[in-house]
Amino acid sequence: MSEIRIVEKQQIPSGTTMLFGFPDVGLVGVIAASHLIDELGLNEVAYVDSRLLPPVIVLHEGVPHSSMRIFGSDKVLLAVSEIPLSPELIYPVMDALIDWGKSKKVEMLISLSGIPMEDRQDATELKVFAASSTAETLKMVQDKGVEPMMEGFMVGPQAVMLMRSAQLGLPAITLVAQCFYNYPDPEAAVEVLKGLVKVTGLKVDMAKLLAKGEEIRLKARDVMKRTQEEMSKMKKGQEFDIPVYVS
Amino acid sequence: MAIARRRRGISDMLDDYFRDLERELEGWREAFAERPSWNLKAGTMEPLRDMRITPTEVVMTVDLPLTNPRTMQVKPSDENMLEISAEMKRKVKFKEMGITHQKGEFQRFHFHTRVPVPVKMDEMKIKFKKGMLEIHLPRKHRQ
Repeated sequence: MSEIRIVEKQQIPSGTTMLFGFPDVGLVGVIAASHLIDELGLNEVAYVDSRLLPPVIVLHEGVPHSSMRIFGSDKVLLAVSEIPLSPELIYPVMDALIDWGKSKKVEMLISLSGIPMEDRQDATELKVFAASSTAETLKMVQDKGVEPMMEGFMVGPQAVMLMRSAQLGLPAITLVAQCFYNYPDPEAAVEVLKGLVKVTGLKVDMAKLLAKGEEIRLKARDVMKRTQEEMSKMKKGQEFDIPVYVS
Repeated sequence: MAIARRRRGISDMLDDYFRDLERELEGWREAFAERPSWNLKAGTMEPLRDMRITPTEVVMTVDLPLTNPRTMQVKPSDENMLEISAEMKRKVKFKEMGITHQKGEFQRFHFHTRVPVPVKMDEMKIKFKKGMLEIHLPRKHRQ
């Protein structure tokens, strides 16, 4: 048995866009993913099963669910984790998800996340940046009005997703919105979703997400705290570092 | 006389050492203890916070969503302890956070924290914007 198994609950359509929302800085990806599930009416279509995962299940309406699930429709697949991934799990989990996505002939992989910003509380505007697995995909994203992230370090699931996709020749994008490092940031989630809308043409109403911002911040405190612990183990602060480019 | 002075010196050093050790342990307990982020009896929730030490000041930020800024209190309880509380705009029940096996409601954020370096508490400055509290404490440098 493979160490990580994706269990399908129903027929998975081919040719979709596969999105990823994992706990990370500002919980941007998770908040954005949760909003997409509601707004696009996505259903759980598969889940991750592995003895490598911590012994945690999520109860919804009294029945157990994996902490890592894939939601979907005929256009979109969305991989979401309700618990932060420890550094040693990132490679095996992301590899398994991307290989599975490739087997489902996904057209594009897009990870939604944040990039920490100093003095975020004083920011009046949050920028969204994109990094891509290929130069062609990056050009496409730029043409659709998203600024590219040209140099810098990226740490976490979205970094591994990009690298693995590049190795497999899959078109992949990581969209990151400027955000708080340590605090849930629904405003940044709105911005990253605006970036997603630009790139994919999906229709997503942000009004509810904006209106529920304070409630989300209150509810997400515990997940944020656990995520902080994992971020510190994976040296997430390296994203603040200035790289020395070696050509 | 010289011996007495040296003994007192060693004893002071030991006192300092154990005081520092105690502070360090308290910091570790605070950071790593597995306990809920709420206190049902007191009806309080513990907010997320962060502390940054610069050469000139200590900057603490505290996330206080759904709070009424007029009810916010930032009180130094001794030379390096701060107690922070704020009333929420409304009562928040477990049920509305999706939890049905616990009963209770929360009306206030509350926590206290130790500032790890000497600061001038009487020169504290605070600002509050969009539910985010920012506290600036100038550092006190030993002469």
